[in-house]
Amino acid sequence: MSLECGVFHTRYEADMGLRPRPLQRLRLGILALFVLVFPFVANPYWLDLANQVAIATVGAIGLNILVGYTGQISLGQGAFMAIGAYTAGLLTLNFGVPWGASVFAACLVTAAAGTFFGLPSLRLKGLYLAIATLAAQEIVEWGMTNWTAVTGGTEAIVLPAPVLFGVRLNTGFNFYWLAALTAAGTALFAANLMRSRIGRAFAAVRDQDIAASVIGVDVFRTKLLAFATSSFFVGLAGAMIAFHRNIVTWERFTLSTSIVFLAMIIVGGLGSIRGSFLGAALITLLPALITNVGRAIQDTAPQAASLLPYAQQAVFGVVIILFLIFEPRGLSKLWENAKDYFHVWPFAYRRGETRTG
Amino acid sequence: MKEEPKTTTGTRNRLVALGVTVFLGAGCGGGDADPDTGAIKVGAIFDLTGPTADVGTDYGDGVRGFAEWVNSRGGIEGRPIDLIYQDYGYQVDRAEQLYTQFVGEGAVIFMGWGTGDTEALRLRIAEDEIPFSSASLSHRLGDPAEAPYNFLLATTYSDQFRIALQWIADNHGEGTPIVALMHNASPFGLSPARQGGVAFAEARGIDLTLYEMPRGAVDFTAEFARIRQSGAQYVVFQNTSGPAAVALTNARSLGLDVTFFCLNWCSNAQVVQLAGDAAEGLMGTMPYAPLSVDVPGTRVIREYLESRGESPEGKTNAYTQGWWTFAAFAEGMRRVLAAGGELTGANIKAALETFADYDLGGVTAPVTFTPTDHRGSKGLRIFRVEEGEWAPFTDLVEAPGW
Repeated sequence: MSLECGVFHTRYEADMGLRPRPLQRLRLGILALFVLVFPFVANPYWLDLANQVAIATVGAIGLNILVGYTGQISLGQGAFMAIGAYTAGLLTLNFGVPWGASVFAACLVTAAAGTFFGLPSLRLKGLYLAIATLAAQEIVEWGMTNWTAVTGGTEAIVLPAPVLFGVRLNTGFNFYWLAALTAAGTALFAANLMRSRIGRAFAAVRDQDIAASVIGVDVFRTKLLAFATSSFFVGLAGAMIAFHRNIVTWERFTLSTSIVFLAMIIVGGLGSIRGSFLGAALITLLPALITNVGRAIQDTAPQAASLLPYAQQAVFGVVIILFLIFEPRGLSKLWENAKDYFHVWPFAYRRGETRTG
Repeated sequence: MKEEPKTTTGTRNRLVALGVTVFLGAGCGGGDADPDTGAIKVGAIFDLTGPTADVGTDYGDGVRGFAEWVNSRGGIEGRPIDLIYQDYGYQVDRAEQLYTQFVGEGAVIFMGWGTGDTEALRLRIAEDEIPFSSASLSHRLGDPAEAPYNFLLATTYSDQFRIALQWIADNHGEGTPIVALMHNASPFGLSPARQGGVAFAEARGIDLTLYEMPRGAVDFTAEFARIRQSGAQYVVFQNTSGPAAVALTNARSLGLDVTFFCLNWCSNAQVVQLAGDAAEGLMGTMPYAPLSVDVPGTRVIREYLESRGESPEGKTNAYTQGWWTFAAFAEGMRRVLAAGGELTGANIKAALETFADYDLGGVTAPVTFTPTDHRGSKGLRIFRVEEGEWAPFTDLVEAPGW
């Protein structure tokens, strides 16, 4: 966790606290209030988007634990989400396991699968590990579509809507509470994880694995733990998708899903929980935004509107490139900059200005 | 992670501004209901950029064309159609998002597309009571017990496949007919085999094997090697025209001597255009007539296109299918309004279920819906490519049961 400009702690509790300052608590309070009020004012469309953002946040935090915090790149996000979704779906459908239990089982199974596919990380780093996880993606994708006896092949699995305290979570409004709670819980867990011994070991492995092993971190074990923890939440996201849509199809968990989630954490900010959320929100809302722009100009500029669908893929790439050039630490850093700016406002520190005196 | 160099304040502010604009801009899609006398809102999703865009574009144009044609003639009982549509790139997520958005904005019916996304939406469609037409002709979607608000206008994939198998069984002569079904890797691809095809083949003593066509594949030589080994005399495609044309070209260069059949989405002019000579002799189950066939239902489309200065030559039968699918729903809504009813999902559903041998301008077999059967037509004509043109090959054939 980076130090904030103009903040000086005088007590260790404050130094280690998650959100020690009153302003931070106020902001958290405002956010919590917004989350509570939002479903009552939003229409079904917005609720649907909010649910997608919440689920994507869980998945992005999971991926960020692996990529952002531990520095192990993964292209297998789609595969791990698929394992979560299929495990949850099949347990509920074939064995009548209550949805809550099957979601938890899905998390554990995905964590195990993640650990297995994390084994090559003992020897492989960077690009080579990326290729190894790409293999995981391809293997799982092939398994989903061809292991017909278990997954039903390319046929979709249809699930009943989950029931919580007698309420069917079949509407956006009802599901919202589950999604928001899960996202908040995941964020809280991840924030605390990074303050723990294990979290610091993750960061040490990321920054310099040799130095980490010198100071007593078991690098391989730490990497595997990162794969397991990350996959646990990725599996949770997958299982949530299954119960949100009440349907599991392989088409939702292809390589492009992996890329989209990597984009989320790159645009949001690697190694940042806030960034995971902001990235998930931006990347989920971007296609919706383009759709709405397209509809808005459909009458005035039909030519441009008809081209917009094709531009969508390009816009995606452009956003990532822009962030890599102008703010490699993503939306999270932008937010921090804005905070810093106002924190010492109007006495802004500007790089490049000559100091006088 | 090491500290990255800071960007300048100016750039940063611009990026913040950009971010804010993006978030605020996303809020533009508001929902407002229509009064009973205003425009009728109809939601639609098309695949213009995804893997089925080869046929999806013409289908979408057909739906849009019909809306414009109706509006130019005063709308449905005086009420214009407000068609709200977007491309969804064959992505299930986007389909769900757009469906929620359009229904939230007051769409009374919905024109869908793929099998995967229609299946995904099936339960919600029933809960929202939105009469839904999917371009997908998956047999299961026509069963009101499973999908009470889904309506299929044309012969289902399963019926089409059985019609093809029946023809094979009748015309094969000596020995066991060996059939290879090459299908798209999706619920759409598997639909004809899973929903009756396999059982029918077994009952008629046809040796049927399934071969998956991986998405995005540009070569099917490996599949054809296996097909050749199996000794198949017939290959049936359940895929869109693009991949089918690739396969036909492959088969020709391999010198494979079999009879090819195309089901719905590849029996169109496009496959002939793409495969050229390799498409010669290709048979097709074609529930919707191409524009080259002269019936009242294609004449109206030709006139409309010509009035807009567009050439009907470039349009495939997917255009006819889009146009007349929407037209049937429009007729359902007209019946509700003509009876003085309110345009609710339940009323439109009830009106559609009164269709008895309703004639869609002769482009397809007459359509009948009942409360227990939403599979509009059970028959079609088999076409065959002769000298680069689809020509009618049989009369109307009823789909055999299984």
